[in-house]
Amino acid sequence: MLTSLRKTWYVTAKDLLIVAKDRGAWMTLLVTPLVVIVIVSFALSPVYKGGSLHATLLVSNHDAGGLGKQLTDSLAASPNITIQAAGDRESKTLKQGGSSYGLSLVIPPDFSARVQAGQSVQLQVYDDPNSTTAAPFLKGMIDGAASRFSAVEVAAKAAVSAAIRQNPHADAAAVASRASAAAGAQIANQPIQVKEEPAAGVKTLNTFDIETPGFAVMFLLFGVMIGAEGLLEERDKGTMGRLLVAPVSQASILGGKLLAQFAVSMVQITLLFAVGHFAFGMDTGNSLAGLALMLAATAFTATSFGLLLAALTKTRRQASSVGILAILLMSALGGSWWPLDIVPSFMRKLGHLSMNAWALDGIKGIIIQGQGFIDILPQAGVLLAYGSVCFLIGLKMFKFRAA
Amino acid sequence: MLVQADNLVKKFGKVNAVDGVSFSIGEGQIFGLLGPNGAGKTTTISILSTYLKPTSGEATVDGFSVTRQAGRVRNIIGFVPQEIALYPTLTALQNLKFYGKMYGLGGAALTERCRNVLELVELWERRHDNIEHFSGGMKRRINLGAGLLHNPRFLLLDEPTVGVDPQSREHIFDTIIKIRDNGSTILYTSHYMEEIELLCDRIAIMDRGKVIASGTLKELLKMLGEGGVIELEVAPPGCPAGLEARITDQQEVTGIRKEGNKLFVSSSDSARSLPPVMKVLEEAGCQVSSLELYAPSLEKLFIQLTGKELRE
Repeated sequence: MLTSLRKTWYVTAKDLLIVAKDRGAWMTLLVTPLVVIVIVSFALSPVYKGGSLHATLLVSNHDAGGLGKQLTDSLAASPNITIQAAGDRESKTLKQGGSSYGLSLVIPPDFSARVQAGQSVQLQVYDDPNSTTAAPFLKGMIDGAASRFSAVEVAAKAAVSAAIRQNPHADAAAVASRASAAAGAQIANQPIQVKEEPAAGVKTLNTFDIETPGFAVMFLLFGVMIGAEGLLEERDKGTMGRLLVAPVSQASILGGKLLAQFAVSMVQITLLFAVGHFAFGMDTGNSLAGLALMLAATAFTATSFGLLLAALTKTRRQASSVGILAILLMSALGGSWWPLDIVPSFMRKLGHLSMNAWALDGIKGIIIQGQGFIDILPQAGVLLAYGSVCFLIGLKMFKFRAA
Repeated sequence: MLVQADNLVKKFGKVNAVDGVSFSIGEGQIFGLLGPNGAGKTTTISILSTYLKPTSGEATVDGFSVTRQAGRVRNIIGFVPQEIALYPTLTALQNLKFYGKMYGLGGAALTERCRNVLELVELWERRHDNIEHFSGGMKRRINLGAGLLHNPRFLLLDEPTVGVDPQSREHIFDTIIKIRDNGSTILYTSHYMEEIELLCDRIAIMDRGKVIASGTLKELLKMLGEGGVIELEVAPPGCPAGLEARITDQQEVTGIRKEGNKLFVSSSDSARSLPPVMKVLEEAGCQVSSLELYAPSLEKLFIQLTGKELRE
């Protein structure tokens, strides 16, 4: 027994030495995932990052009166908007109903007259249909500002009527103009702002909190795929055969190799999380023990997936083709590329056929939702059961001897 | 006998890769399995090494069954596969240490055995170089060395010189002879007739899964005639009855074999036998369209036994 364990360890140590000397493997295991995580996290930071929204608004003001300018000034006073006055060419384009300038506002020539007359007025706003972030907020701001102008003008008009009723000799036009100007100035002094505030109890997300776990799990699977290829290579190149005729059991050979793969997976996912945390501020939650359990369960299940892959395929090339397809499918469905919260319900259920979904439920539960060790036990349990099934099927089907 | 193989059969689907192979190997001998690719040599050596189980038949090494007592057999044997079964990104020393540990070696004994083996294959100076940086011949030498670490009583070498340069081949031959001189018994497979002739004490010639001839080199060559062979192509193909017996009666003729319109006449002195043989043929009204005299060799024996070249 002791001899078998010792020989298992020798196989493990040999495999770890091979991985340690393989620079290409470390590129795949660590450098590539880090590059991808950093790029994706920075690229998607506007989607997840908290703080004020901001956009540039192109304004083509044709208003003959003063309210158009007051509306523009009101918007310009908002920290969310930078106003850019439209030039002749841009104004002409906007006038013809087209815009390729992103978010644009056209104030018509009769804006002041119609507002002061209490009539409806139409402001033309062009937006970028592909923008999913700032545009909707800013359109809301413009609508709000315009309606406030109307309301103030109606109030001013009512005030003028009241003043004339009290003093029939008063200069109605002068009173209306002063009331309107005062109201406009009041609006300009109260710029509209849009500011995102996190809901109470919900932490502000760092993009690395979201992207690191997903891509770490995906690249963990790529790591075990390389391990599965190595297992098949060992069989095909004769080193496995040489071990099989040595006084060492098959259990020691396979056990040693799987132990090495598990160790490499643990080192890989731990280093990816460590870099995410220390270099990019990724949160690790309140339960390091819970996170360690989830990472270990994920590494175990990934290792078992690698064994299953080696068992179900005959050649290294086959393992690579099948492995890439399976990993990409599991990653897409299981939430490695985007949060499962945003996908339809049936996709979420389908996604939980993959190990990625269970791993990410547990890991994100800890680092995003602040769950504890006990909270993630169900996810860890399912993940370990998932890995055990893969392990047993792989063990049963793996062929030590080449056909 | 250290090794005994009795009526070994190995089927892969409907194909009999090994079909009733029997032989025995005495302690300290180098036993050669000679045959073309696909003859069943590697399957036979795989059964003896415990890598494959025979479909039927039995083989023993030092009295232990290769099927029922595989664990005992594995402690006695050393196996050098046809492939370079080494880890290319590890050094020569790291490879040897790993395999040595698999055979239960450790500590100072392992260090000493690694040194001895590296010196034996003359690669001690390159022990810290990765295998991937070695030439084909050097890889073969380390591949051989990895099978020697535990001083096996029975060493199985499967085509150990495939793809190596002549200098490395000579080196491997020297090493094998040293191993034999140290008391190991060796089973050596090859499709190179010269290697088998040079190294082996006893030889079995295999073709299509069967042993078609076996014995010492001298015994095998005797089958052709010690003095060589006269190969005659005669017309018409159907020579008169009794012709073969009349030829056999001639001076120095030791045997005759007919194959189509060819006659293979073995002789203890083919030059002296040729005139009387030609006279018998002339008297029988047979015309000789071609004639060849050659010295006995395993190559010619193989052709005579199978009708095809050894390297086909």
